Amino acid sequence: MHIPDNFLSPPVWLALDAISLPLVGWVARRSFRDSDHTATPRLGVMGAFVFAAQMINFPVGAGTSAHLLGGALLVSILGPTATVLVMTTIVAMQAFVFQDGGVLALGANVFNMALAGVVAAALALRAFRRFPSAALFLAGAVSVLASAFLALAELLASGVHMPPALLWASIGLFAVSAVVEGAITLAVVRAVSRLNSRWLSLPSQAGRGPLAAFSLAALLMAVAAFFVASSQPDGLQTLAARFHISSQPILPAPLAGYSMSLAGPPWLGRASAALAGLLLAAAACLALGRFLARRRSA
Amino acid sequence: MRHHRIAGWSLLDSPLHRRDARAKLLATLLFLLALALAPQSSALAAVPFALVLLAALFFARLPLLPLLLRSASVLPFSIVFALIEWASGHGPHGGALLAKSYVSALAVLLLAASTPMPSLLHAMESLGVPRAFVLIAQSLFRYLFVIAEVAQRMRLASLCRGGTSPLRPSAGFRASAGSLAVLFARSQQRAHGIHMAMLSRGFHGSLPLAVRPRFRPSDAGFLAAACALGAALYLSVTLR
Repeated sequence: MHIPDNFLSPPVWLALDAISLPLVGWVARRSFRDSDHTATPRLGVMGAFVFAAQMINFPVGAGTSAHLLGGALLVSILGPTATVLVMTTIVAMQAFVFQDGGVLALGANVFNMALAGVVAAALALRAFRRFPSAALFLAGAVSVLASAFLALAELLASGVHMPPALLWASIGLFAVSAVVEGAITLAVVRAVSRLNSRWLSLPSQAGRGPLAAFSLAALLMAVAAFFVASSQPDGLQTLAARFHISSQPILPAPLAGYSMSLAGPPWLGRASAALAGLLLAAAACLALGRFLARRRSA
Repeated sequence: MRHHRIAGWSLLDSPLHRRDARAKLLATLLFLLALALAPQSSALAAVPFALVLLAALFFARLPLLPLLLRSASVLPFSIVFALIEWASGHGPHGGALLAKSYVSALAVLLLAASTPMPSLLHAMESLGVPRAFVLIAQSLFRYLFVIAEVAQRMRLASLCRGGTSPLRPSAGFRASAGSLAVLFARSQQRAHGIHMAMLSRGFHGSLPLAVRPRFRPSDAGFLAAACALGAALYLSVTLR
């Protein structure tokens, strides 16, 4: 799931660098504004643990074995904020030292694995905290699914060609690895809590479960939307043609034909239209949520 | 462990090793940028970039074959996608992806193999990476090999006890989960010990470098040459 350099088109990696690197920088500065950094080296040792944990194989049947990816496990031990920092460091270390993932594509890989994956796992843990086993399994599964689908969508938005059969095969592969990661996360957290349950920092009973469930659903839908928009950019038009709806738009759309009319190759327009559309939709949802929350509290 | 080798290479001495880490980091980023913006139409565009890298490898007095093999770790991913491109009738594009991703990986490996980790992290911090990431990366890199060795020993111990052929797969799964939990407990204990030891030695949030790095005129010259070379490479492949 680590995307190497030169697989993403410049607008895609530039946009994701511009989004995720300042975001993780802000998280780092905010969470360490007051403390004096003396506890930070412990996070590094936890990162080294996740690296080393990938050397222990789990038999998953049919003679094959899998290993832990670690995002959801770290969330259940360190909490989401520290996990974002540790996962970002791991992804950057893999890019710079172990040639696993590109340096220019660092923003994309950080976005997929250290932001989207971690947020998905944290939301799943919070939403289903009444059912700890289900929550842990789901946290592992959705963190892998979110990262994998985003990576695939970014590749598709960059103009990498993929026949439908292969697309389905990779979706099946993602589903299998999501189930495996969920099972490993659940088994390891159970074993850790048998050793010492104080090591875990799972969400407590007090909290806003429905809100977390709603946010998780929204996040997963955004990932799915990005995926669909980048794999089938003319889906709506196909639908319109099938149901014999006039192709003349009622309102002039700003992103007509799912591509911005920019000078440049067609994939550039398609990728920037997909990103801009997602950002617009997210901003609209945020504004609506704010408005509703204000009306309810008034 | 194989990863020890990069740390070993980075401590060698050569004209490239002696350059300031900041200059090398910026030069690598420029190189990657020029390569990424070069046309995606054919693998030939990557050839001038590869030649420049080979020359730099020669100046760094690094062993050629091990580095070429190490950066091949990017190839499984690239070959799969290149084959897909080729099968869907975009052969040249697939070839370009393959060549460019390999050359990019080699460039980053050259940086890591000619710059010790503490200097590289210091360079990143002086170029604006937040202190928290630098501290996490320092302790991560320092204890990675220690904890990996513990994991290796545990794996060996479980193999000696017949850990690979459990009667039921679910038992093997639970045994692996148990050993991961023990590995976590040992890492936690070690992290606590390290933290206490660092505090008692007066750690207050930053690790000092043994030698204060200085940005010499030769480093500025190196960076200027890298800028000129990057621009020349980019123009040579785009204007053709």
